Amino acid sequence: MTKINEMTMNDEKQTAEFEARIARGEKIEAGDWMPEAYRKQLIRMISQHAHSEYIGMLPEGKWIPHAPSLRRKMILIAKVQDEAGHGQYLYHAAETLGATREEMMDAFLTGKAKYSSIFNYPSDTWADVGMIGWLVDGAAIRNQTMLAQCSYGPYSRAMVRICAEETFHHKQGKEMVLLYAHGTPKQREMVQDALNRYWWPSLMMLGPHDADSPNTPQLVRWGIKTKTNDEVRQEFIAETAPELLAAGLTIPDPELHFDEESGQWIHGPIDWDEFWQVVRGNGPCNAERLGARRQAHEDGAWVREALNGYAQKALST
Amino acid sequence: MDTQWPRWEVFKKDTAKKPYQAVGSVHAADADHALLNARNVFVRRPQAVSLWVAPAAVIFSRTAEQLEQGNPLPDVDQSVQQTYQIFRKATHRRSMTFMDHIGQVEAPSPAHALQAAIAQFPDPPALAWWIIPADQIISSGEDREMAAAWFDPAKTKTYKHQSAYGFVSARPQGRRRSGAKDE
Amino acid sequence: MNEAVTGALTSRLTALADDELILAQRNSEWTGHAPILEEDIALANIAQDELGHATVWLGLLEPFSGRSPDEMAFFRDAEDFLNVQMVELPKGDWAFTMLRQYLFDAYEHILIEALLASTYQPLADAAAKFRGEEMYHLRHTHLWVERLGLGTDESNRRMQDALDILWPAAGQLFVPLPDDHLLVHEGIFPDLAILQDQWVAIVRPHLTAAGLTFPAEIANTAARGFHTEHMATLLADMQLVARWEPDGEW
Repeated sequence: MTKINEMTMNDEKQTAEFEARIARGEKIEAGDWMPEAYRKQLIRMISQHAHSEYIGMLPEGKWIPHAPSLRRKMILIAKVQDEAGHGQYLYHAAETLGATREEMMDAFLTGKAKYSSIFNYPSDTWADVGMIGWLVDGAAIRNQTMLAQCSYGPYSRAMVRICAEETFHHKQGKEMVLLYAHGTPKQREMVQDALNRYWWPSLMMLGPHDADSPNTPQLVRWGIKTKTNDEVRQEFIAETAPELLAAGLTIPDPELHFDEESGQWIHGPIDWDEFWQVVRGNGPCNAERLGARRQAHEDGAWVREALNGYAQKALST
Repeated sequence: MDTQWPRWEVFKKDTAKKPYQAVGSVHAADADHALLNARNVFVRRPQAVSLWVAPAAVIFSRTAEQLEQGNPLPDVDQSVQQTYQIFRKATHRRSMTFMDHIGQVEAPSPAHALQAAIAQFPDPPALAWWIIPADQIISSGEDREMAAAWFDPAKTKTYKHQSAYGFVSARPQGRRRSGAKDE
Repeated sequence: MNEAVTGALTSRLTALADDELILAQRNSEWTGHAPILEEDIALANIAQDELGHATVWLGLLEPFSGRSPDEMAFFRDAEDFLNVQMVELPKGDWAFTMLRQYLFDAYEHILIEALLASTYQPLADAAAKFRGEEMYHLRHTHLWVERLGLGTDESNRRMQDALDILWPAAGQLFVPLPDDHLLVHEGIFPDLAILQDQWVAIVRPHLTAAGLTFPAEIANTAARGFHTEHMATLLADMQLVARWEPDGEW
């Protein structure tokens, strides 16, 4: 991709024109002028999102060998494969902004870059696979549907593609949870336990309350986000809570109720200390997840070098 | 320094009637490997009849905004005519794909190729162009048997589609595994 | 089909299914741990194809065995599995995984071509269905073997280490089951001795061109049904959840 910005206009005028383009619903493409802060915010968001997909393969991937039916095994391999594919689409979107995959891998593996807090929770039982599909992917789809409207063309396109593929992730998870919720006593107990552990982290993964999210107004103005964290969280609860309850499961929040007057779901206080601990690297599985990723990266180094070696020899003959 | 291999842009043709469209990129050390990776990444689901890959490094790109600001492509006269494949983005509509392949031109340089493309394909006006030397594009080919081997298997993997799960909020029937197990 | 032929077909279908099921199990262990993101996707693709084939073979078996594909996969013990030992070995490094897959893909490619002419129509139909996928797999692993063999000194050494184990092990693919001759006589299943010649003609030149040499060690000629120590732990992993609640629908 080419370097741009040989213009002499001042930044303010360019920014005004840039914001007018976004207001008209135009997509910004690689090569177009953009404020440096827009580029940086996008690289940060997109690469974090890519890392989340990549590391998100691990909690579910570890259950592939134990999947209890041929169909579940097939579905789970395909789902975790999609997550790799989604990571791949997202790294591509960040690459259009000038970030290289080598730099992004380095930032990821050295712990400089963040990824979604949810993947630092353990996946202790097979039922977690279902709960991750229904709740975690359900929450993620809310965010991704919003980001598919995003002003940056490559990010928007990655999201449209991801959303189209991800609906299957959500549905297979829901299918499992409902099946086990109506299954044998052991299955019911297992799926309730999974809900107990995944409910709060799912609410947290949608990000801090609007009042504590200083970047949001700018991101909304630039058309990167089109809804606030609390709005997305409300949508998520409204969609999932009634169905979880209808399945006979107990949501681990005694204060959760629907407020007729405001038309909103009211939930109990979220433990933001825990959220920030996990984001900062002190979650229950941060070290394990990043360790596994580093190990795979190091074990693969000779393979990546071998193919470069082959390509160079092929060029020189 | 770690290597993630060079990047290759991927162009997918969904049906015989559709153009090759830029769908994203893959990393690979060489062209044949890039083509296989493109299939694995972008044809996990149908549909496709053919794929192209090209090294990202050889693509000449300009947006309409860049051209308005007088930022042309390199005009090194190579004194021989070369074939360039022309890709264009013409809409702000939300989609999964970026550029569409719209044709090819013969030109002595990328700058001339772009001028020729603008003259030859004026409608609809482009938001962005890609100009790729034709000899840098590697194709999976359009041979039927090969296409069947590469692209048909995705059609049978119905479990990757949300439609395979129907309406899953109803209370499921309590089916039990039938037949005796022997342990 | 008389009872003896039915019995022979039951064993052969079990062997076909088990090779693919156990190899898919091993390959799926890579998901999330491959050398680069693109290869996580590639290997998960191969694992799904194999698991799909195993499911089809087990489905063809059901009328004879009276057991569902899931019962066959999750409620048999090691001694009842008829896979070759080569597919149950731990996944090893990327060289081992790619070479094992290549040797198996080449075997499956010629097997499928032969099964297209099977007089037992369900086998011929399944072969026609798998043919495209297998051509693609072979192209993929053919490419990898060449690149790792010729890439760097380290990649060549790792490939040679893998071949030293896998070359003799692959011999077991061509050991007939006790009643296979009945199937060959009926035109249901091909003669494995002929397949072996075709297989050697495909893999030997390619491995040689990839800078590898063949170990002198004699081929593994153990009958199917005998397993290495790795099979028990593989099954313990695979059957963990299903056997934890055998009455559940999963």
